Amino acid sequence: MLSRIAESLFWLARYIERAEDTARILDVNYHMMLEQSQQSYRLRWEPLVIMAGEEKLFRSLYGEANAENVFEFLAFRQDNPSSIVQCVSKARENARTIRDRISREMWEDINGLYYTVTRFRPEDEIAAGPHRFCDLVKFGAHRFHGVTDATMPHDEGWEFLRVGWSLERAEMSARLVDVQYHNLLDALPSVGAPDNHQWMAVLRSVGAYEAYHRQYHSAIEPEKVAEMLILHPQHPRSIRFSASEVQAGLRAVSGSLAGSYANEAERLAGRVVERLRYDRVDEIFKQGLHGYLNELLRMCGAIGDDIARTYFYYAVVA
Amino acid sequence: MAAAPAHMVNPGLFEGYETGSFYDEMFSAPGQPRPPYAKLFQKLAAMAPGQFEERRKLADLSFLIQGITFTVYSDGRGTERLFPFDLIPRILPQSEWERIDRGLSQRVVALNLFLQDVYGKQMIFKDRQIPRWLVYSCPNFRREVIGVGVSRGIYTHICGIDLVRDSKSGDFYVLEDNVRTPSGISYVLENRLVMTRTLPDAFQACEVLPVNHYPAELARILRSISPRSEDDAQIVLLTPGIHNSAYFEHSFLAQQMGIQLVEGRDLIVDGGVVYTKTIRGLKRVDVIYRRVDDEFLDSLTFRPDSLLGVPGLMGAYRAGNVALANAVGNGVADDKAIYAFVPAFIRYYLGEEPILNTVPTYLCANPGDLSYVLEHLSELVVKAVGESGGYGMLMGPTADRAKIEEFRERIRANPRNYIAQHVVPLSRVPSYDPSTGSVAGRHVDLRPYCLYDGQKVTIVPGGLTRVALQRDSLVVNSSQGGGSKDTWVLRGEG
Repeated sequence: MLSRIAESLFWLARYIERAEDTARILDVNYHMMLEQSQQSYRLRWEPLVIMAGEEKLFRSLYGEANAENVFEFLAFRQDNPSSIVQCVSKARENARTIRDRISREMWEDINGLYYTVTRFRPEDEIAAGPHRFCDLVKFGAHRFHGVTDATMPHDEGWEFLRVGWSLERAEMSARLVDVQYHNLLDALPSVGAPDNHQWMAVLRSVGAYEAYHRQYHSAIEPEKVAEMLILHPQHPRSIRFSASEVQAGLRAVSGSLAGSYANEAERLAGRVVERLRYDRVDEIFKQGLHGYLNELLRMCGAIGDDIARTYFYYAVVA
Repeated sequence: MAAAPAHMVNPGLFEGYETGSFYDEMFSAPGQPRPPYAKLFQKLAAMAPGQFEERRKLADLSFLIQGITFTVYSDGRGTERLFPFDLIPRILPQSEWERIDRGLSQRVVALNLFLQDVYGKQMIFKDRQIPRWLVYSCPNFRREVIGVGVSRGIYTHICGIDLVRDSKSGDFYVLEDNVRTPSGISYVLENRLVMTRTLPDAFQACEVLPVNHYPAELARILRSISPRSEDDAQIVLLTPGIHNSAYFEHSFLAQQMGIQLVEGRDLIVDGGVVYTKTIRGLKRVDVIYRRVDDEFLDSLTFRPDSLLGVPGLMGAYRAGNVALANAVGNGVADDKAIYAFVPAFIRYYLGEEPILNTVPTYLCANPGDLSYVLEHLSELVVKAVGESGGYGMLMGPTADRAKIEEFRERIRANPRNYIAQHVVPLSRVPSYDPSTGSVAGRHVDLRPYCLYDGQKVTIVPGGLTRVALQRDSLVVNSSQGGGSKDTWVLRGEG
């Protein structure tokens, strides 16, 4: 497989995942806000921008964060490289450069999604609220996963897709927990009950609300939510599960066996998986959640760089 | 019960259609379809009002979702556009097609022999069939490949030769030979697919010869020119990339042939051998179906600023370690001044009379022709010899004065760069105009695609019918507002 094609598959998957995750977070937060009082209004929208990693750009474009401008920024802005429309466009651009290597169904699906999201008029959607738009993106991404699974040979190209979306998902989940937790600790009202709605929103945004109740049979507690999103062995959006997928995909490409590694990316992925397998949530909180998640994010970044070095880039021959 | 005679049918979609003063491909007189079109006419005329428009929209949507678009750069941003597709097909009876097929095959073989000769022994100069200076002054003549042998002696693996039907004689004429990197075949194949889905009953009634063997035939030829064993030949299609207007076609053909689509940056030359950069190291390449023009192929040999090619590629080519299709230097054979000599090539190399007509051509390089051209600019079509795609052209009869004067200056400054021809009044085919919801005659040409394996020429029946969708326009190029039609060659005479 050409290095360029592997790289395009990897990024195609990452962009689709980023679009979906952003849509989920937007949608759920919006609905939580509707049920809430105005007091903690600001706190619920700022974190979304931080999570997308585009705080600086946002501040240069808008004043205070609110439902409308955050929605516009994260869903539609052309100049926000992480906006949903930009992610879908870039996913499509990547798909276009490799359309001879993906199935016709995959291409037509992603091309259709592109035309759908670019035809929305931002002002209409902002007035109507994000649900319709976000739902469509979410299901567009699900459909893409389904079409991919059902029509593309599960060969090494497919593994690069799996590595791409799993790595992106691990990072997005880590950012989600980090930003929300940080924000809530700072912002808890001095009197009254802790605000569990925010944590419900976090669970819902990763589709883990029902799973949480089945697992814990208890009220929503921040530590348990964090445990679920970081350490759960089977939930498809936990960091541990996503990291295992990255590791499995990399091993399938290189053919290395359990307990060994063929390159730096695999070594780091293995380290992340093992750590998440044996760490406990109380230890994580003891050493500091923020530091812990940041370390995970740093390692995810390094895995991405090492994948590129191993498979995508050729040193220039003089 | 036999179908009602055509003139008894309610004309429906063709109500009020005028054949005008041009040769109309479909009607011999208003309401009188020619025999090959009779069944189509009945099917289309029988459609309920609005049904045609509905089918047309379905066809458009299908092209959009499949991403069958081309990119135009006129607005500076590069916008993706649909190549307009007209649902009313152009039909040729089998006997007419067979004559075209013979004429094109003859021409392709002669052009290939000419290229072998000018880059080889150059007998044609010694036998005084064409002046050496005229060949050497072609902008696309490549001295770099003189004496470089090509695999199996094939230069013109793929040709797209443009034909037009002259309204006066009703005969076909060759307008241009495209023997460098002709594009458009993907539209032939996709048009057919969409057509069979959109108008299945009409298609079935007409008994149309198939076209979908093209990719397999091309793949066979590409395999056959591999410098190593045919069985494990590594074949790639080299594209300039996603921003090229024909990118869709490149990916389509690569997919259909099951070969890798590569860009220049995916390839590397080491020790005179071409490799692809893969996730498992370098893999040798044997054959490159290149859709990158000569001058961008290798920055060490041609344009040093090119990022689209592969530095050192020409070294590997000269050493015979990689085969290119089409060969380098073919542009000399489709130079518009050389065009005037192709009938002579056919007589010289094959000892045959040309089957297809060519359009009489004035070479501005000849002083006599030049003064005639300058005096009659407003009646002539002037073309730059090395251009294609409708660029660098003056349509005298419709051009304004400023444009004519501009060309007069350009021709005077560089006469060798221009030729002129009388305007061929192109035939017309009824075409649907979505803005009025009615059908009107529009001018068409025909580009069949010829594949040459060194022994025989294979042409998929028909080809791309390009249509000038703007009223009275004679320019059919997609870059100039043209569209396309499916071309049906019938089994029999219809």
